[in-house]
Amino acid sequence: MTDSRVFLAGLWLIVTLELRQRVRGVSWYVLLGVFMLLVGIVTFLLWLATSAWLSGGGGVFSTIIFFVLLLGTLVSPALSGNSVNGDRDAGTLATTQVTLISTGQIVLGKFLAAWITALAFLAAALPFLIFAVVLGEVSLATIAVSVLVLAAELGVIAAVGVGLSGILTRPLFSIVLTYLVVAALSLGTLIAFALLGTATQQQATSVNYQVVSSTYDEQTGKQSNIVCSTAQTSTHNVPRFDYFWWILAANPYVVVADAAPGSFDDGGHPTDLFGQIAVGVRSAQAPPKLYEENNWCDEAAEGYSGQAYGLGPTPQETYDGAVPSWFIGLTMHLLLGAGTLTWAWRRTRTPALHLPAGSRIA
Amino acid sequence: MSVTTVFDAAGAGHAIVPSGIAVTGVSRSFGAVSALLNATLTVPAGSVTALIGPNGSGKTTLLLMLATLLTPDTGTIRINGHDPVTEPERVRAIMGWMPDTLGSWPSLSARAALQTTGRLYRMTREQAAVRADELIALTDLGDFADRPSRVLSRGQKQRLSLARALVHSPGVLLLDEPASGLDPAARTSLRHLLRRLAGEGSAILVSSHVLAELDEMADAAVYLADGRTASPEQVAAAGASARAWRIRSLDAPALERALATPGVVGALVQILGVDQLGTLVQVENEASAAALLHNLVLSGVPVCDFGPAVGNLEHTFLDLTRSTGPDAEEMK
Ligand SMILES: Nc1ncnc2c1ncn2[C@@H]1O[C@H](COP(=O)(O)OP(=O)(O)OP(=O)(O)O)[C@@H](O)[C@H]1O
Ligand SMILES: [Mg+2]
Repeated sequence: MTDSRVFLAGLWLIVTLELRQRVRGVSWYVLLGVFMLLVGIVTFLLWLATSAWLSGGGGVFSTIIFFVLLLGTLVSPALSGNSVNGDRDAGTLATTQVTLISTGQIVLGKFLAAWITALAFLAAALPFLIFAVVLGEVSLATIAVSVLVLAAELGVIAAVGVGLSGILTRPLFSIVLTYLVVAALSLGTLIAFALLGTATQQQATSVNYQVVSSTYDEQTGKQSNIVCSTAQTSTHNVPRFDYFWWILAANPYVVVADAAPGSFDDGGHPTDLFGQIAVGVRSAQAPPKLYEENNWCDEAAEGYSGQAYGLGPTPQETYDGAVPSWFIGLTMHLLLGAGTLTWAWRRTRTPALHLPAGSRIA
Repeated sequence: MSVTTVFDAAGAGHAIVPSGIAVTGVSRSFGAVSALLNATLTVPAGSVTALIGPNGSGKTTLLLMLATLLTPDTGTIRINGHDPVTEPERVRAIMGWMPDTLGSWPSLSARAALQTTGRLYRMTREQAAVRADELIALTDLGDFADRPSRVLSRGQKQRLSLARALVHSPGVLLLDEPASGLDPAARTSLRHLLRRLAGEGSAILVSSHVLAELDEMADAAVYLADGRTASPEQVAAAGASARAWRIRSLDAPALERALATPGVVGALVQILGVDQLGTLVQVENEASAAALLHNLVLSGVPVCDFGPAVGNLEHTFLDLTRSTGPDAEEMK
């Protein structure tokens, strides 16, 4: 056998051991059953709410994906956040480390087991995802990309959970900290974005030239003898969300939404939740106009065309005109996951040179 | 590397003759606490060595370093010629470690735990299953081998832990308080097992607080006090110091009378008192003990029990801790 075969065999052994230890048993299946029930209810309600039999399954599909992400991020920390330090407390870590299994195999194996556990939720949601696809209007690209990115995000949470459990010595702390990381990414990014954006307000100036008086020709609908006002300057504050849009890129929900290829209807409006979120996030990239000059006199002279102002870009135009941000967010997440796992590996390596204060190896 | 190449390389490749355990000048501290200071010991292959010392003297710390889990701050360790710090994999292939904490995968049965451990040592599924059955028979786990180890009693878990240390038939065994929680029958069979393994060439280091038991199975003893190993001179001096002997007679008043008779008790003997098991006397050395017994028998006292009140190891241990440890009085 080659070295890599030996490594993989040992890795798989740890994965199966971990799965047998942690997730086998009745309570695990009850949890999955409850999850399926919830997804079922959500699917049914969405089907009613979005009139999916007419408009297609895009809305239902995207919401189920988000629901799996929500449940995955809620359950995964509890299952993975004590996998290394919990084993140390139970006295089974050191007995594994004196065998021919390396610390790398232990940490990686525990991560894979935690990931597989989280993916079980995705698998449990599969019937409902298929139902949504059957309703129509969900492109193959959307299915593939959103499922893959969702799986990657679940992997990141599993990696952070296992990593923190290897870095911190107290299981309770590492579980709580994993939850805090999840909360920081899911909610903290939104709060930080909103607060930072509104805190960095800038003054925007608009200069207006108003029509003071004119003669309106009923026949042609044109104005003549226009008397124009002097420049009227007004100022107001605008938030600079465009400085901080990248914060939103770190949000796992945004990553999933932004990664999915946008699907829009004929009027340029998104047809699923992914599109709505992606448009919202991408519109934050555009800087606000800090100086605006409106010459209503010129407009009046040319006759209101209705085109010149008023209708902004459609959501689809905003979406297409902005930079996709999902790969920035996903890269940040992957680095976070890989970083915590590496740190955990360094902390649990044996023979140990330094022990964290107040911990014993066995 | 396959399982056979690892074991071959570890067992035969480098050290042709297994040389056992050699520890020289090893120290280790945890922050401000120095757990081990300049410990030196050897355990030759084919022998059982007892590791003795008061609570917190560094026995577990030493065993953790031998078991490739901790690095020493200073000093060198060789396990059959291999350094646990630089070649942990080689050492792990030939070393079995039984921890002092009971730890087993709670939802796995004893049999599954042993099979899994075998697989962790790169055995095939079949090899691991065969070995697990052997060990279950060896450690008498049969009746509860298929129950989840969560429900096992302390002694049963201890036996499982011992079996796990033996899975890969290691040539070096490190046992941290293996007898704690075992019933008398299990202790006896542990003793026989260790003697048999030593006879087959294993180097065995056993830490325990049950010194009477070690007396019966250990070829040598290493005393640790406050992280230091006692030197051979200290051990010899402590072993030779005055110690208590216990005398029991079928006729207690006759014994009392004889001991009160001038001339029977020599100058080097001092009567300590009477307890429920007999009369305790302090005897300077074995020669004066022999003289005392001779005199008692000559005086017609029906002596039925005459021997040291504590075993050899215990006597040395108590004497060493009395001379070094500040809490020696409490120990006594
Ligand atoms: N990880 C650690 N961090 C700090 N101190 C430690 C650590 N491990 C051991 N010690 C200290 O080192 C000393 C030796 O501990 P050790 O566990 O080796 O003792 P022991 O001889 O096995 O005792 P016992 O007979 O009670 O099992 C003790 O004072 C202990 O408190
Ligand atoms: Mg100990």
